[in-house]
Amino acid sequence: MSHTISAPVERLDAREKSRGEARYLADLHFPGVRKCRFLRSPAARGTVRVLQAPALPEGYAFVCAADIPTGGRNSVQMITSDWRVFADGDVRFLGEPLGLLVGPHAGVLEELAKAFTIEIDEVEPAFTEEDGLACVGGPSFGTDNLFADHTIVKGSPEDAFESARLVVTDTFRTGVQEHVYMEPQSLVVLEEGGRLTIYISTQCPFYVREGVSSAVGRPVSEVVVKQTVTGGGFGGKEHYPDTLAAALSVAVLAVGGPIEFVMERGEDMLFSAKRHPSTVRYRAALDENNRVVALDADLTINAGAYQSGSGVVLQRAMFSAAGVYDIPNVRIRGRAVCTNTVPNDAFRGFGAPQALFAAEGLMTHIARRIGVDEVDFRRSHLVTRGSITVTNGTIREEVILPRIIDHVLDASDYRGKDAACKWGGGRGIGLSIFKHGSAFTGSGERDIIKAEIRLRKHADGRPEIIASTVEIGQGALTTLRKIVATELDIPVADVLYHDADTSRVPDSGPTCASRSVAVVGYLIEQAARRLKSRMNEPGEIEVVQRYEHPPELVWDQETYQGDAYPSYSWGANVVEVEVDRYTHEVRVVGVWTAYDVGRAIDSIVVQGQIEGGASQGLGYATLEKMELKDGRYQQVSMADYMIPTSLDFPAIESKLFDNPYPYGPSGAKGAGEVVFDGLAPALASAVEKAIGGPVHELPVTPERIAELLRGRRETDDSIRPEWIRAVDKG
Amino acid sequence: MVKWYRPGTLDEALEIRARETVIPIAGATDLYVRYRRRSGLAPEFSAPLLAVGHLTELQGYSDENGELRIGAGVPYADILSDGRTPVLLAAAVRELAAPALRNVATLGGNICNASPAADAACPLYALDARCELRSASRARTLPIAEFITGPGRTQIEPDELLTAIIIPPGPGRVTAAIDDDATTRVLYRKVGTRRANALSKLAIAAWASLSGGGVESVGVAIGAVAPTVVRSREVEADFVGSLESLREKTDAILAAYGRLVAPIDDQRSTAEYRREVALNLVKQFIEQSLLA
Repeated sequence: MSHTISAPVERLDAREKSRGEARYLADLHFPGVRKCRFLRSPAARGTVRVLQAPALPEGYAFVCAADIPTGGRNSVQMITSDWRVFADGDVRFLGEPLGLLVGPHAGVLEELAKAFTIEIDEVEPAFTEEDGLACVGGPSFGTDNLFADHTIVKGSPEDAFESARLVVTDTFRTGVQEHVYMEPQSLVVLEEGGRLTIYISTQCPFYVREGVSSAVGRPVSEVVVKQTVTGGGFGGKEHYPDTLAAALSVAVLAVGGPIEFVMERGEDMLFSAKRHPSTVRYRAALDENNRVVALDADLTINAGAYQSGSGVVLQRAMFSAAGVYDIPNVRIRGRAVCTNTVPNDAFRGFGAPQALFAAEGLMTHIARRIGVDEVDFRRSHLVTRGSITVTNGTIREEVILPRIIDHVLDASDYRGKDAACKWGGGRGIGLSIFKHGSAFTGSGERDIIKAEIRLRKHADGRPEIIASTVEIGQGALTTLRKIVATELDIPVADVLYHDADTSRVPDSGPTCASRSVAVVGYLIEQAARRLKSRMNEPGEIEVVQRYEHPPELVWDQETYQGDAYPSYSWGANVVEVEVDRYTHEVRVVGVWTAYDVGRAIDSIVVQGQIEGGASQGLGYATLEKMELKDGRYQQVSMADYMIPTSLDFPAIESKLFDNPYPYGPSGAKGAGEVVFDGLAPALASAVEKAIGGPVHELPVTPERIAELLRGRRETDDSIRPEWIRAVDKG
Repeated sequence: MVKWYRPGTLDEALEIRARETVIPIAGATDLYVRYRRRSGLAPEFSAPLLAVGHLTELQGYSDENGELRIGAGVPYADILSDGRTPVLLAAAVRELAAPALRNVATLGGNICNASPAADAACPLYALDARCELRSASRARTLPIAEFITGPGRTQIEPDELLTAIIIPPGPGRVTAAIDDDATTRVLYRKVGTRRANALSKLAIAAWASLSGGGVESVGVAIGAVAPTVVRSREVEADFVGSLESLREKTDAILAAYGRLVAPIDDQRSTAEYRREVALNLVKQFIEQSLLA
């Protein structure tokens, strides 16, 4: 933090955004643009028997799977390519697009949509992981509804369980979370200069290009994606926009453009991708010294109707399922289950928050079960440099967790407050410890993304970053320019950086996975170093920089063995709560956070991530509830789906620890997701103490607390925390 | 297209009201949400709109013969800033919506909207408020508990307008926060979906007048736990008497309220939670406001 690069500068987009001058997609005007409206399946699963369009007035058209051009295909290329542009023959989730109505007037489109005849022979849908695993209604995918089923093993877990003194079991569940980016999904598609051109709010312009190119059967050189000012993403604009862009592109090729789609908030909340609900079932084995010697985790995530990114989300969840603990024998099975809900996809944390909630819950529950201090218990199991990970990789960096933990404990007076809390007395304080791997999992950066950036010195001397990393509110525009400015010793504002346009920038990968600074920033820094000595040369000079995998990292993508991430960001959070004895409402009275993100490129940008991440994480933990009823989410407006306001949580205390990473720009690692991961487990632990009972499920709403307390009253008046089943073998 | 009438006077408004079916509209914060369509499309109302929020006759906040008269078109922000506003009502308004909405949303609109979760209704029930109704040919007042008949339903006739809310004098109508020695104790609690700009899962507005070491009179209103706000004179009578006897009767009182509440499951909460917490809030009123 004392490092000069960390000193904050004014965010380069701050003024235009706070003045309302930034032009988002809905602010742009395209001559002759037509509106469109998706016609969506009213059933969650079944066969479409009749789909009859009404007579369409002049200027109106209905586009469906039959309109996909020759050479194209009815699927959107993502990591997998199972997500269909339009339902064809059968429907797999309620709201799946049957087609797209196009025309000049939104009101007419509404009337026309009502005039369709849709008849579906319904099949019993599977909505939950349990339904999916049981193949309710028959499997929708393969023979078992498993999009992915992987097991990783470290050591000899079976032997360790056999010789264990104590075996405990515990189960954790998490719910759906909606991104609620401020700007809804928005795009315009048209043909410009013979090329299909897509103006779109997105995190990943090249993903959109790939998805459209595959669907319409045109080479990527004939598809141009231009990112427009993007009002938030959180993972929700990672792959989902590809599906919209593909549908509109099919329509533009069939009936002409431009066509605009700005998603309604309610429609966006109903039908865009969400965070995966999850279940983690643990068995843990303890030896006579109260050390966890083996862990067996069975982790499932609800993928929804299409796989999209679920396989990769599952990987990160699996690799996080042992938390920050060095357990010698581990077996983790992960399954991504196909169901008939809206597909779930990327969301800040990408599987890690679900697994870390479970891992932290397990460790605190074990500590209470065996009657030892939960902080000491967890500290005695921490990974250190040289520890072997659950994928049999190596922690290569110095792990400064002990200092981070000490700090949050001291800053929050955790020990004093925890001692003063009476079990079940309405107040509680909880600690979480966690890590988040920066960048794509395994060899993804080397083998899949292969990021490239260019740094161009213009004839007037100003350098321009040419990359596909986009500003989505996180501060990339400022941070990446600051890296160049620092290297070249020029003002930040002199560094040029334009909204990404796939026809003029190389593919430096998507804006996600805490990789923008850690990976792309490093390429930019290296390019700037190479450019520096040539800045005085006349004319235009361009430097190209391509990703190189740190040579010591090993990874086998078939077996998931090796170094799952090049580096980790680390953190500890303390959350203090009061639970109202009459209403069971949770009031968060204090939040203390500390992180090692390598080195902050800009302390205020990182502070923004910390505060936003904490608020979003606490919202996930306490408020944000989405309930499915007959396949349809019930909380689909800003009045019913509760994201926190500034009054819901107190000021967030934070501290950054400098721990520079050799392959990060100025030593920086990722900071976008680690700041989300730890809030829910810390809050859950605090609530457990306040209510005197276990929390196994997120979100911890007042309704759920009331249920927990009611259940305990009905079954057992004891306040002893004996809620985890244990088999004492000693 | 949305057809609007914007009468210059109350009489003109009542003439239009007598002549044709119109939807009276003041702050529009409920109606524009209820009738909204996709963005870019005007809301589709089932009848022309009759703007009433600007009418002078519906403005005004007065104290006449001890009765507070709050014009139906007075926005919440004005009610909140007026020192005469009873503390129970002020507490509800303070937690209602957000500042920008409180600048335009009106008390009259909230009552005519007749949502079981209407935040302002709960204290008005507790304070025995009356609704003043006018038509071109007559005027009448009804107790709020009679005026609101069910979710979205009121006794208003097609030719009438709600012109004012009248809060009579009474022990619950205190205007300042109460210290421990005061003879009136009040409790307002909203259990919202979050801490600000939130809709209510349920709410309670309650007052009690104490004298000679006992409860003399009490008003308890519980919102969003039944089709209309729950208030029972019969159960309130059980509060009256010494604090010792109140302590003994607490369980019976809670059981009585348990028979009166009939909450529902919805997207914001559960019937089970609403039922339990409604009784807990009555318990809190007894334990913390009265017995403590």
